[in-house]
Amino acid sequence: MKDKVIDKLVSIAGEDWVIQDLDKIEGYLYDETPEPASPKAVEEVVVVKPKDSEEISAVMELANEQGVPVIPRGAGTGLCGAAIPTEPAIILSLERLNDIKDLDEDNLMVTCEAGVPLESLFEAVDETDHLFFPPHPGDEGAQVGGLVVENAGGARAVKYGVMRNYVKGMEVVLPTGEEVQLGGKVLKNNTGYDLMHLLMGSEGTLGIITEVTLRLYPEAKETATLLVPFENRHDAMSAVPEVLKEGHVPLALEYVERKLIEESAEHLGKSWPAEEGEAFLILIITGKNEEEIFDKSETIVEVFTENGALEPLFAQRRKEQESILDIRSNIYTALEEETTDILDVTVPPAEVGNLMDEIEDLAEEYNTNIPVYGHAADGNVHPHIMNVNGEAPEYFEDLKDEIYETALDLGGVITGEHGIGETRIKNLPMALSEEERVLMGKIKEVFDPNGVLNPGKAV
Amino acid sequence: MPEPTYIVLIKQVPDMDEVEFDYEEGRVDRSSAPLEPNPFDLNALEEAVKYKEELGGEVLAISMGPKQAESTLKDAIARGADEGILLHGREFAGSDTWATSLALAHAIETAGSCDIIFAGEKTVDGDTGQVGPEVAEYLDIPHVAFVSDVTKRGEKEIQVESETWGATYLKSMNLPGLITVTKDVNEPRLPSFKDKQRARKAEITTWGIDDISIDPDNLGVTGSPTRVANMEVPPPEERESLILREDPGNSVNQLLEKLDLGREN
Amino acid sequence: MSDVMVFAENNGNKIHPVSYELLGKGKELADKLGGELTAALLSGTSLPAGELIERGADRVYRGTAERLAEPIESSYREVLVQVIEEANPEVILIGATNFGRSLAPRVAMALDTSLTADCTGLDIDEEKNFVQIRPAFSGNILAHIKSRTSPQLATVRYRVFPEAGIEEGKEGEVIDVELSLGGEDTKQVEVLEERRGKKVNLEDAEVVVAAGRGLKKEEDFELIEDLASFFDGKVGASRPLVDDGWIGRAHQVGYSGRRVKPRIYIACGISGQSQHLAGMKDSDMIIAINSDPSAPIFDYADYGLVGDLYEVVPELTRQLKGE
Ligand SMILES: Cc1cc2nc3c(=O)[nH]c(=O)nc-3n(C[C@H](O)[C@H](O)[C@H](O)COP(=O)(O)OP(=O)(O)OC[C@H]3O[C@@H](n4cnc5c(N)ncnc54)[C@H](O)[C@@H]3O)c2cc1C
Ligand SMILES: Cc1cc2nc3c(=O)[nH]c(=O)nc-3n(C[C@H](O)[C@H](O)[C@H](O)COP(=O)(O)OP(=O)(O)OC[C@H]3O[C@@H](n4cnc5c(N)ncnc54)[C@H](O)[C@@H]3O)c2cc1C
Ligand SMILES: Cc1cc2nc3c(=O)[nH]c(=O)nc-3n(C[C@H](O)[C@H](O)[C@H](O)COP(=O)(O)OP(=O)(O)OC[C@H]3O[C@@H](n4cnc5c(N)ncnc54)[C@H](O)[C@@H]3O)c2cc1C
Repeated sequence: MKDKVIDKLVSIAGEDWVIQDLDKIEGYLYDETPEPASPKAVEEVVVVKPKDSEEISAVMELANEQGVPVIPRGAGTGLCGAAIPTEPAIILSLERLNDIKDLDEDNLMVTCEAGVPLESLFEAVDETDHLFFPPHPGDEGAQVGGLVVENAGGARAVKYGVMRNYVKGMEVVLPTGEEVQLGGKVLKNNTGYDLMHLLMGSEGTLGIITEVTLRLYPEAKETATLLVPFENRHDAMSAVPEVLKEGHVPLALEYVERKLIEESAEHLGKSWPAEEGEAFLILIITGKNEEEIFDKSETIVEVFTENGALEPLFAQRRKEQESILDIRSNIYTALEEETTDILDVTVPPAEVGNLMDEIEDLAEEYNTNIPVYGHAADGNVHPHIMNVNGEAPEYFEDLKDEIYETALDLGGVITGEHGIGETRIKNLPMALSEEERVLMGKIKEVFDPNGVLNPGKAV
Repeated sequence: MPEPTYIVLIKQVPDMDEVEFDYEEGRVDRSSAPLEPNPFDLNALEEAVKYKEELGGEVLAISMGPKQAESTLKDAIARGADEGILLHGREFAGSDTWATSLALAHAIETAGSCDIIFAGEKTVDGDTGQVGPEVAEYLDIPHVAFVSDVTKRGEKEIQVESETWGATYLKSMNLPGLITVTKDVNEPRLPSFKDKQRARKAEITTWGIDDISIDPDNLGVTGSPTRVANMEVPPPEERESLILREDPGNSVNQLLEKLDLGREN
Repeated sequence: MSDVMVFAENNGNKIHPVSYELLGKGKELADKLGGELTAALLSGTSLPAGELIERGADRVYRGTAERLAEPIESSYREVLVQVIEEANPEVILIGATNFGRSLAPRVAMALDTSLTADCTGLDIDEEKNFVQIRPAFSGNILAHIKSRTSPQLATVRYRVFPEAGIEEGKEGEVIDVELSLGGEDTKQVEVLEERRGKKVNLEDAEVVVAAGRGLKKEEDFELIEDLASFFDGKVGASRPLVDDGWIGRAHQVGYSGRRVKPRIYIACGISGQSQHLAGMKDSDMIIAINSDPSAPIFDYADYGLVGDLYEVVPELTRQLKGE
C-alpha cells in the first residue's frame, strides 16, 4: 500500500486505528465462506477503523482520489466471499460504530449504528421487556449493517419476513463520500425511487451504511418450541405445507437432520433432546398465554401426526428453548471443516418437498452425501457440498450448478439469503437475464463512477 | 416385595436471568421473572426417572412452596414423575433450611417407605445447598453430595461419582439414602407434548401441617434458627477500562497494584 | 461459650488452606466475643497441630480415626459433634469447600442449630450478634444473616479472607480427643476409588486464562497454562486455535463454544470478535493482553495491557509468583 495512502488514513482516523501488521489483521482477511469455495485473500491491505461517518466520508474521498478500492467490513460472517479482499485494498471495519442510539418504544423502532452486533441488539431490545426483534440469521455475531446489505433471512422469518421488512431508515456514506439519509421512522413512504431498498442486498457495493432504523414488534407473552421428529426427510418436508395450509404461522419453522444436529450439539457440549426420528421440524410457537400456546400446538401436532410425525417434544422453559435454537444455529460451524460450499437455494414454499427429493437423487447420482437443513417454511434450505478427502471434490462445480438448475426449474432462485458476493458471480448468467445484469451494472456506475467500493462483488 | 419409591425434592425458583434487582431499594423483584423448577432439581428428577426405568417403581416429587409451585410439580409429572405433593400453608412461609428440611423430612415420612431421595446440589435463589444433607441427617440416612455421575443402580446400593476433596470419588451408598446432584450428572430430557398436556390436568396433592404431623412452632420465620436481617443489592459494577501501554514490567506492576490479585482470587 | 472453633479440613496429608483463612477471621471474631480461638483437627492419620497454633489457635482438639481417611460426611459428622460438645464453642467456621458444604448441614441438623452458607463476610455487631454476610440469588445480592440458636455454624468461602500469618514459637494447647466412631451406621457409604482430573469444566472455573491467534505455536500454550495454574484456573481458547487442533473443543470460549462467567478472565492475543465476547463478556473481571491497541477486546476489558503476549504473560506470571 502506498505510504501516501497510509499517512492520509492515519491523519483521518489516528495512528492506533490504521493497522497493517499481518499479525494483527489476520482476522480481517477472510469471512465464513467455506475454505475450498473461498477466494484467496491478498495480504497487501490496510485495515482502518473509523469512528464515525465523517471519517468514513474522508476515507471514501481518499479512495476516489487515489483509486484504491475500499471493502466495507462487518463481522465477516458472510458466506459468499463478499468481504474478502481479492486485490490490494483498504478494509474499512465498522466495528467502532457500535452504539445503539435510540430505542423508541412509542414508535416501536430502534436506531443503531451499523457495527452493532445482532447479539447486542437482541439484548437491548430484550431489556425493554415487551419488544422483540424477530429475525435470527444463524450467527448472532453478524453486524446490523452487514445483515441489511445482505438482506439476511434466517430462522424466525416465517411470520414477519426477512431483514428488508424491518428496515425503515438508514444513513449511508456514498462511494463518492457524500452522506445521505434515506427513509425514516415511517411505515409508509412513496417519495420517489426507493433507494433504501436498493441498498438492501447491495453487498457493500453501493454505499457504506452507517446507521439503520429498524422496526420492532411487541414481544409475545409466551413462547414454546415444538420439536417434531420424522422417520425421514420426505415425510418431514411433505408435512410442512400441510401445516401452513391450515393457517398456522409459527415464528420459525426449521428443518434439521439427526446426524448434523447431533454433531452440532456435541460441538457445544450439549446433547440433542430427541431420541427417536431421523429428520426434525423445529417450530417456535407464540401466544398471549399458556392456554393459547397449548391450543395452537395441539392443532399443529394433530396435522403433523396425520402426516407421519413421531411423538413431538415440547420445550417451554426459556433455557431449553434457547438451547434448541443454539444447537440449530451452530450446525454450520460444526460442518464447516468438512464443507466445500454451503448453498441457500430457495423455492416456492410448496415445492420444498420436491426440492429435497431432487437433491436426494443428485446425491445418489454423484455418489455422495448432501446434508440439508434450513428454513423449511420459507422454501429456503442449505444443501452442503462436502469435501472428499479433505478437499473440494472434482464434481463440485457441476453438482452446484445442478442444484441451482433444480431450484430454478422449480420456480426458485439460486440464493435466498447469503447473496452473490464473489463466489457466485459466475452463476449470475443462469439466474438473471442479460437485461437485468446490464441494468445492475449501470446502477453500480451511477453510485460509484470510479468503481472503488467493493469492486468485483455482487454484480 | 413392594415396588421401590424414589422421592425427588423440587423447589420452584424464578428464572434467574429474568429476575430484576433493584439496588437502590435493595430489593429483589421476583415477580418480574417466570417461575420454573430449580435447574439442578431437573437433573435430580432425571436421575430418579432413570432409576425407575431400570428397576421399576414410583417417582414422587415433593415441593414446599406457594400454590404456584403446583406448576413445577406438573412439569415434573410431564418429565416422568408419577405423583406430585405440594407442602403448602402460611405456616411454612419464611422457613430457613433447617425448618424446610424438617418439613420435607416429615413429608417424606408421611409418604411411607422410600428407597432413594434425589435433591439438587443447591438452588439458584437461596443458594445454600443445605437442604439435602439436612434432610438426610434428620431421617438418619446416609447421603452423598455433589454427585456428577451415577455408575450403578441397585436395589440395596447405589454407586456414584462425587466431587469432593478436590477430586472425584467413586462411592457406594446403602439404601435408603439421599444424593444431591450437579448438572453434570445427566442432561434432563424434554417432555413430549402429549405428556405435557396430560400433566396439565394432573391432580396435585396438597399437604398442610396437620397432614405431616409437624409442630408449627418449628416452621416459618419464628421456627427458623436463622433469619435474613437485611439484604443488599450491590449495584452492577462498571468496568474499569484502564488501558496500560507501558513496557511489560511496568504495566504488569501497575495492574497488580490495582488488583491485589493474589488475594482477590 | 464465647469461643470460636475452626474446622481444619484435611485429606489426611495436608490441611486445606481455607482453614488458615478461617483462623485469621476466627481470631478477630473471638477477640470481639471475648473468647478463645480453637481448632478441630480430625483426620485419618495424625497431623501436626503446630501450624494451626502458630496461625492463631489457642487450643487444638485433635483426633484420628481410620475412617476419617476418606471423605465420608457421616463419619466426620459424628466426631465433629463430639468435639463441639466437648469444646462448647459459640461460633463454628467450616470452609465452604464441597466437603464443608456437605458436612456442615449434617452437623447443624444433628445439633438442631443455625447454619449460614458460603459466607463472604463475618462480623460481630455491637450487641455481640454474629452477623454473617453471604451472596445469594446466584451472586446478585448479599444477605445479612443472624441466628437465634447456639452454637452458630457458618461455611465460609475459600479465598475471600487472607490467611492468618505465622507467629513462630507461639504456644497453645493440643488436646488429644479419643474419638468414638462406632457402629455399623457410619459405614453406609464407602469409597471404592479415587479418580483424578476427569472433566474440563470451563463453566465452573473461577479463573480462565484464554489464548487466541496471538499465540504462535501449540507448544506456547505452556505460557498460558503457567499463568492459569497460579490461580488454580482453567485454560480457554478462541475458535481458531481449537479449529487447528491445538486444544480440545471443551476449551473453546464463545458463541459456538462454552459460555463462562469466571471471577477473572484473562484474554491473551484474542481480538474480541463478538462470537468470542458472547462467551465471556459477563465475567466479573476481564483482563486483555493484545499488541494491537485497536483490538475490540479492549472495549470490554477492565484492564487492558497493550503489548506482546510473549513478554506480558510471563512477566505477569513472574510478578504474581513474587519473583
Ligand atoms: C453460522 C452462520 C449462520 C448464518 N445463517 C444465516 C441465515 O440463517 N440467514 C442469512 O441470511 N444469513 C446467514 N448467515 C450469513 C451472514 O450472517 C450474513 O450474510 C450477514 O448478513 C453478514 O453480516 P456481517 O456483519 O458479518 O457482514 P460481512 O460478512 O462482514 O460483510 C458482508 C458484506 O456486507 C458488506 N458490508 C458489511 N457491513 C457493511 C456496511 N455497514 N455497509 C455496507 N456494506 C457492508 C461487506 O462489504 C460484504 O460485502 C450465516 C452465517 C454464519 C456464519
Ligand atoms: C437471601 C437469602 C439467604 C438465605 N440464607 C440462608 C442461610 O444461610 N441459611 C439458612 O438456613 N437459610 C437461608 N435462607 C433460607 C433458605 O433459602 C430457605 O430455607 C429455602 O427454602 C431453602 O434453602 P435453599 O433455597 O438454599 O435450598 P438448597 O439447600 O440450596 O436446596 C438444595 C436442594 O434441596 C431441595 N429443596 C430446597 N428447598 C426445597 C423446597 N422448598 N421444596 C422442595 N425441595 C427443596 C432441592 O432439591 C434443592 O435442589 C436464605 C434465604 C434467602 C432469601
Ligand atoms: C458462527 C460463528 C461462531 C463462532 N464462534 C466462536 C467461538 O465460540 N469462540 C471464538 O473464539 N470464536 C468464534 N468465532 C470466530 C470469531 O468470529 C473470530 O474469528 C475469533 O474469535 C478470532 O479469534 P482470535 O481473536 O484468536 O483471532 P484474531 O481475530 O486473529 O485475533 C488475534 C489477535 O491477537 C493479537 N496478537 C497477535 N500477536 C500478538 C502478540 N504477540 N501478543 C499479543 N497479541 C497479539 C492481534 O492483535 C489480534 O487482535 C465464531 C465465528 C462464527 C462465524
